[in-house]
Amino acid sequence: MGSKYPRSLRCCLPLWALELQTAFSLLFCFFIPHDTAQVDHRFMASYQVLRNLTLMAALGFGFLSSSFRRHSWSSVAFNLFMLALGVQGTILLDHFLGQVLQWNKINNLSSIQIATMSTLPVLISAGAVLGKVNLVQLTVMVLMEAMAFGAIRFADEKVFKMTEHIIMMHGHVFGAYFGLTVAWWLSRSLPRRVGENAQTEKVQMATSSSLFAMLGTLFLWIFWPAINSALLEGTKKRNAVFNTYYALAVSAVTATSMSALSHPQGKINMVHIHNAVLAGGVAVGAPGCLISSPWISMVLGLIAGLISIWGAKCPRACLNHMLQNSSGIHYTFGLPGLLGALTYYCLQIVTEPKSSDLWIITQTVTHIGALSFAVAMGMVTGLLTGCLLSVRVWRAPHAAKYFDDQTFWEFPHLAVGF
Amino acid sequence: MRFKFPLMAISLEVAMIVLFGLFVEYETPQNASQKNASHQNASQQGNTSSSAKKDQFFQLYPLFQDVHVMIFVGFGFLMTFLKKYGFSGVGFNLFLAALGLQWGTIMQGLLHSHGKEFHFGIYNMINADFSTATVLISFGAVLGKTSPIQMLIMTILEIAVFAGNEYLVTELFEASDTGASMTIHAFGAYFGLAVAGVLYRPGLRCEHPNDESVYHSDLFAMIGTLFLWIFWPSFNSAIADPGDHQYRAIVNTYMSLAACVITAYALSSLVERRGRLDMVHIQNATLAGGVAVGTCADMEIPLYAAMTIGSIAGIISVLGYKFFSPLLANKLMIHDTCGVHNLHGLPGVFGGLASIVAISWGMSTASMAMQAAALGSSIGSAIVGGLLTGLILKLPIWNQPPDEYCYDDSVSWKVPKFRELDNRFFQHANHNHVEHEV
Repeated sequence: MGSKYPRSLRCCLPLWALELQTAFSLLFCFFIPHDTAQVDHRFMASYQVLRNLTLMAALGFGFLSSSFRRHSWSSVAFNLFMLALGVQGTILLDHFLGQVLQWNKINNLSSIQIATMSTLPVLISAGAVLGKVNLVQLTVMVLMEAMAFGAIRFADEKVFKMTEHIIMMHGHVFGAYFGLTVAWWLSRSLPRRVGENAQTEKVQMATSSSLFAMLGTLFLWIFWPAINSALLEGTKKRNAVFNTYYALAVSAVTATSMSALSHPQGKINMVHIHNAVLAGGVAVGAPGCLISSPWISMVLGLIAGLISIWGAKCPRACLNHMLQNSSGIHYTFGLPGLLGALTYYCLQIVTEPKSSDLWIITQTVTHIGALSFAVAMGMVTGLLTGCLLSVRVWRAPHAAKYFDDQTFWEFPHLAVGF
Repeated sequence: MRFKFPLMAISLEVAMIVLFGLFVEYETPQNASQKNASHQNASQQGNTSSSAKKDQFFQLYPLFQDVHVMIFVGFGFLMTFLKKYGFSGVGFNLFLAALGLQWGTIMQGLLHSHGKEFHFGIYNMINADFSTATVLISFGAVLGKTSPIQMLIMTILEIAVFAGNEYLVTELFEASDTGASMTIHAFGAYFGLAVAGVLYRPGLRCEHPNDESVYHSDLFAMIGTLFLWIFWPSFNSAIADPGDHQYRAIVNTYMSLAACVITAYALSSLVERRGRLDMVHIQNATLAGGVAVGTCADMEIPLYAAMTIGSIAGIISVLGYKFFSPLLANKLMIHDTCGVHNLHGLPGVFGGLASIVAISWGMSTASMAMQAAALGSSIGSAIVGGLLTGLILKLPIWNQPPDEYCYDDSVSWKVPKFRELDNRFFQHANHNHVEHEV
C-alpha cells in the first residue's frame, strides 16, 4: 500500500503539459496551413454556432459536474483544460487522417466547430471519472478518447455511410460507455473497503455546489438545440431546433414530477434534475431533423425523462455500488442516445418512399452496425484506457483522496468547512 | 405530495402532447411565405424576396437564445436569494417555464389562428418564452409560500389570461408594446400581487426566520441579475420589426439599462441611514430600466430620453423597495417576496405611460388612446385573473406548506446534509458580518 499523502504532481504535470503543448504548437506550425478568412454572412453564422458550442462545453459541462462539495474547483477547471486539449488534438488528428487516408477535411472555422463537437464525448466521459484521477491521467484519457472517436468518425463516414450529424449524435453514446468502462476499471483495481469508505464520506453535496451544478444544467438545456442543429442546413436545421426545444421542455417536466414520485415523501432530488432534464435533448438529437410534427419529439422527451429517472433510482439495485456516482451519464447520455438512434432508424424506414426489401435490409445492417460499433469502440477503448491510466507513472491519487480538491489546489482556508 | 403532483404534471404533459398533435405543425419556408404574403397584402406592403423570408429563422434564433437564457438562468438564479429556498427558486423556475412555454404556444397559437391548426415558427418560440416570463414574475410575488401544485395551477391559468390579454392588446387595440412592459411586466406583477393578496397568511406577518438572505445566496442571485442585464436588449428587440425598429430597440434598451444602474446605486446609498448599499436594490432595481423602456424601445425616441427613462425607473424601483413594499405588507396585506411590484409593476406602468408621452410628441404612429387601453386592459385582466386564481389556490387541497415551513427547500426537495454548514463556512471566513438592522 502506497503512502496516503497526496502524490506531488510538481514535476509530472508541468513536464507532460508543456511537452504536449510544445508538440501541438510545432505540429500546427508545420502542418496546418492558415486559412484566409472570408468574413461574410456564412462566417457569422458559423461563428454563432461555435460560440454556442463553446458556451456549452466550458460553462455547461464544467458546472454540471461540480456538484460534489469537495470537488467543485477541480470539476470546473479540469473541464476547461480537457476542452482546450481536446480541440487542439482533434484538429491535428483530422488533418493527419485527411492526408493519410484521403479523408477530405477543410481547415477553417468549421474545423474548429467539428473539433469542439468531437470533444463533447470526452467531457461526457469525464463526468464518470472526475474525482478519481489527476490532471495527467485526464490528459492521457483525452488523447486516447479523441483518437478513438476520430476512428469512429472515419469508419462511420467511410464504411457505414453515415452523415456527420448522425456521427456526432453517436458521440453521446460512445462517450457515455467509454467513461463508464474507464470508471469501472479504475474502481475494479481498488481494495473494496477503502473505496467504499472514500466515496461514502466525500461524495457529498452542499447547497451552493448543487446550485452551481444547476447553472451548468441550465446552460446545456438552453443551448442544446444549437448542438443538435449545428451540422444541419435549411429546413432540417429548423426542425432540429424546434424538436429539441420541445423534447427538452417535456423531459424537464417529466423529470421533475417523476423525481417527486420516486421519493417516499414526494421530495424532488436535485441530482435527478441535474441530469434527467437533458435526456430529451439527447434522445431527439439524431432523429430531430426528420420529425415534422412536434408531438413525436414530445413523446421522445417524455420517454427519455422516464428512462433517466428510472435509471437514477436503480443503481443500488441494478449496478455495482462502485459505479453509483457515475451512473448519471448512462441514463442521461447512454440510453437516451440509443433511443434516439433507434428512432432515427425507424423514421428513416417509415419516411422513405421507395422502400424496397433490399434497401430496408441494407439500412438495418448499416444503422445497427454503426450504433453497435460506437458502443463497442467505447467499451474496448475505454478498457484499454483504463488499463493505461492504472500505470504507476501517472501518480494516481490514493483512494482516500478521491473527490478532494485539496489534492490539487492551494486552499485559501485549509481547515474551514472541511 | 408524492402522488398528487406527479400525476397532475404527467397528465398535463400528456394532454399537452395531444393538443400539439392536433393543432401544431412546423413552419416551413412554403407556409411561412404564404403567411407573410397574406400579412403583407393586409398591410399593403411591398414584396420581399423569398430568400429574406427564408432567413428570418436564422436571423432571429440568436435573439431567441438570449431570451431563453434570461428566462431560465436569469429569472431562475434571481430567485435564489433566500437562504433556504435556492433549490426551489431555480428548480421550480425550470419546471414552470418548461411547462409554461408549451401551454403558451398552444394558447397563443389557437387565439391568433382563431382555433384552427397553426404553424409553429421562430416567432412562436419567442412568444412562448414571453408567456413564461409573466408566470416567473408572478412566481416571484408568491415565492416561498406556495406548493408546486399551486404553482402548476397558477401557470396554466395565468398563461390563459395572458394569451387573451395579449391578443386583445396586439390584434384588437393594435397597441405598440415591443418590449412588453405592459403585457408581460405590469401584467405579471399585478397578477402575482393579486394572488399574493388572496393567499396572505396572518401568521407570516412578523419576520419569518427563513425570509432573509445570506452572503452566498445573494451572490447566486447576482448571477441571475447579470444575465438578465446583459441580455435585456435582445428581449426588448426580439419581436421588433427587423431593421431600424430592432436597431433602435437594442440601442435604447442598452442605454436605459446603463443609466438605471447609476441611479439605482445612488439611491440605494441615499436611502440607507449609513449610506451603505443594499444588495436587494442592486439585484433588482438595476433591471428596472430594461422594463421601463420596453414599450417605447423601438419608437423614435432620442437616446437621452431612453437614458432619462432608465434613470427614473431606477429611482422609482429603489424607493419602492425601501418604502412601498413595507406599505404593501402592513397596510394592504400583500406580502411581495421578490418585490415584483418594484421591479416589474411600477416600471412597467411607467413604461406604458412613457409610451403615451412619446406618442404625444410624435415619435410613433401608434394611438395614445389605444396605448392607454392596453395599459388598462393589462392591469385589469391581471388583477381580475389573479384574484380568481388566488381563490382557487386558497382551497386547502393543494398541499400548501404550513407557516413554519415557508421559505424552506426541505418541504419539497431532498436537501444535502451540508446546507447549514454553508453559513458557518462563510462566518468562519472572517467576513465583516454586520448584524441585521432591526
